[in-house]
Amino acid sequence: MAAIGAGLAVIGAGIGIGKIGGDANSAIARQPESTGDIRGSSLIFAALIEGVAFFGVVVGLLFAIK
Amino acid sequence: MIPFTLPMLASTVSAAAGGEGENPFEYLFKHVVAYQKGEFLGMTVWQFQIFQVAAIVAIFLAFAPVKRAVVQGGGGYFTKVLAGWVSWIRDEMVYPNMGEKDGKKMLPFFLSLFFFIMFMNVFGLVPGGYTATASVYVAAGLAVIIMLMMIVGGMIVQGPLKFWASLVPHGVPAWLLPLIFPLEVIGLFIKPIALTVRLAANMTGGHLVLLSFMGLAFYFGSSYGTALGLVVTPVSLGLAVFIMIIEGFVALLQAYIFTLLSIIFVSQALHPDH
Repeated sequence: MAAIGAGLAVIGAGIGIGKIGGDANSAIARQPESTGDIRGSSLIFAALIEGVAFFGVVVGLLFAIK
Repeated sequence: MIPFTLPMLASTVSAAAGGEGENPFEYLFKHVVAYQKGEFLGMTVWQFQIFQVAAIVAIFLAFAPVKRAVVQGGGGYFTKVLAGWVSWIRDEMVYPNMGEKDGKKMLPFFLSLFFFIMFMNVFGLVPGGYTATASVYVAAGLAVIIMLMMIVGGMIVQGPLKFWASLVPHGVPAWLLPLIFPLEVIGLFIKPIALTVRLAANMTGGHLVLLSFMGLAFYFGSSYGTALGLVVTPVSLGLAVFIMIIEGFVALLQAYIFTLLSIIFVSQALHPDH
């Protein structure tokens, strides 16, 4: 069960980070001069999503080794 | 939460590997789990505390020549990299988010926060080192400082009542206030918790993935015979090296993320208008 939970968390984080990455790449392709800003803000948003995903993984880990 | 339960997992895994004493599993677990303790002047010392102190000492050693290099020029390659790093943090992270006036006051704190986390993360990748930031307690201690800066600093800058009033965004209808205000107060405490979990889980997670890839060889060796274990070893070692390279990137990235998010949170708490 815990493994399923970890997998679900990974699915959510994958969708979110994939969308960020794709949008950041197309934004850079449109405006190459603002590459630095786009990269910085996409890193922040990826970290926010990753934090939420890690909540799920940590809860899964706690249940797995209880 | 993690430090109390992971040792049990470690003993289970090492028992499954059939090993006594120091096998790679135990080594990797000691990397991230605070269960190696000693005595010093009557106090219990965990291995993470040694590496926190080591990080502070290393920061003082590494940054001693930086000021002279900035003022007078010169200095070695490493010193120049650190000096450039410091000015990058000032110009790209602190000043754009806090403004120059507040940024000047807060810059030393955020510089030390960044390099403290970075040195602890990097020490975890050195052979024989331990990742102090993988402990929830270390990460939570840093996050508590950020939370106090948000609440106490916001109450000092804006005034005690105005800080709590400014938590609610402008233009919210009055009948929504009983719902919005508790949510915003909870959000004030969720932010440091998210910082804690992100840092600690990232550093623990990377080492656990490393452990799993290294464990593949031992699993195949003990379950299907030594020959298959030897065949699988290059594969699992290659995967582990790949993860190790990613870990080197993550160690720097997490210090960046933690510092940048704390800068944003603190500047929001100090000046909610912009």
